Amino acid sequence: MPSTYTEQELVFALKERSNQAFGFLYDNYAGALYSIIKQIITDDNELAGDVLQEVFINIWRKIETYDQTKGRLFTWMLNIARNASIDTLRSKSYQNSQKNQELPDNVYKAIPNQTTQMNIDHIGLKKVLESLKTEHRVLVELAYFKGFTHDEIAGIMGIPLGTVKTRIRNALLQLREYLK
Amino acid sequence: VNVEEYISSGIIETYVMGLASESEKAEFEQLCSQHPELAAARRDFEVTLENLAFEQAITPPAGIKGKVMEAIGNPDSLAVTSSAPPKIIAMEKAKSASGISIGLRLSTAAAVVLLIGMSWLYHQIEGQNKELADTNARLIAKLNTSDSILDKIAEEHKIVSDPNVTVVNMVGTRVAPKSSANIYWDSTSSSVFLVVKNMPKLPSDQQYQLWALIDNKPKDLGVFDATDDKVILKMKNTQKAQAFAITIERKGGSPTPTLPKLQSLGKAL
Repeated sequence: MPSTYTEQELVFALKERSNQAFGFLYDNYAGALYSIIKQIITDDNELAGDVLQEVFINIWRKIETYDQTKGRLFTWMLNIARNASIDTLRSKSYQNSQKNQELPDNVYKAIPNQTTQMNIDHIGLKKVLESLKTEHRVLVELAYFKGFTHDEIAGIMGIPLGTVKTRIRNALLQLREYLK
Repeated sequence: VNVEEYISSGIIETYVMGLASESEKAEFEQLCSQHPELAAARRDFEVTLENLAFEQAITPPAGIKGKVMEAIGNPDSLAVTSSAPPKIIAMEKAKSASGISIGLRLSTAAAVVLLIGMSWLYHQIEGQNKELADTNARLIAKLNTSDSILDKIAEEHKIVSDPNVTVVNMVGTRVAPKSSANIYWDSTSSSVFLVVKNMPKLPSDQQYQLWALIDNKPKDLGVFDATDDKVILKMKNTQKAQAFAITIERKGGSPTPTLPKLQSLGKAL
């Protein structure tokens, strides 16, 4: 049995229900997926851990539906992780009885801590932040990290649906420029 | 379809980040199968995102792998896989990771910080909104209370300034020297009003009761609470009264006054 896999081999082995391949998948991808979950569930490590567990179990269950022609394995898993995180966040905030998806107060404290960990001083946070307009930032936040539909965002922000769509696309294009 | 134009519309990023609508998805997948350059551009962005996530990887809490492996039904595989070296050798992602420039590393990290910054800003704004809404609600509640107090004061003033109304100043007895209240007795309509000035709070099973003394016989004029201050209370009517008295009775009042509990007394004339 191989102890390492190419992406092709890994997908094949997972679809063949290989536990060893799944262990390999966890060892190699859990950290990256956990960082995605933590960007959405910022304030509760235990909850984020529960979501990670749920995500891997879902990957195992749904691997049959993964279609390589539609994208890379990681992209597929990333979207599972993102959707699971948002679902959790939403149901949790409903329990917190805020209609508007509000997060608990300690979220305000958790975020600055995280930015500190990332040494913002060395990478010119201000410069990058200033480059995106506020209206773009907020829309990406709502759509990508909060999972609101474009319709919902149009309602929340009081702007037309077409504008929401255009602004999100422009913001994503700009983001991509930074990533290059 | 002009593929270049299509790419520059932001559809790739929208699709890969899971923000495309069902119809956009279907169209994109269809076009990807027809235009290899579109699929290649999608792949580029996927690799970029993937590298970003691996750059920012956070070690998950210990114990989750065990639970996951157990859940998929073979706990034995746990020992095998966890003893394997956690190296990514043959994966394509590792190949591209080795070619990452410092600039890319910094800008990917910057992008993550940017996203976190957005999130922070959004919560700031939302927090401020909520604060304003709360303050507003408090002010409205306060205004309503003030309005109703003002109404009561106006009503009280009307009664007090009526020339037909007799004011009886109730003073405390030895048992309750500080108790005080005013009775406004309208001799034409027989109406009796009471204003609590200072009555000590009672246990919840007790209430104050007002009596009119007519030829030394008590007549019940109703019960009230110490908390009914700032309010003018309409009591039961009486045509005659030589004096008024207040006693402490069980909640709801008594048929006859408990005289040792006499709190306050005032003569009508």
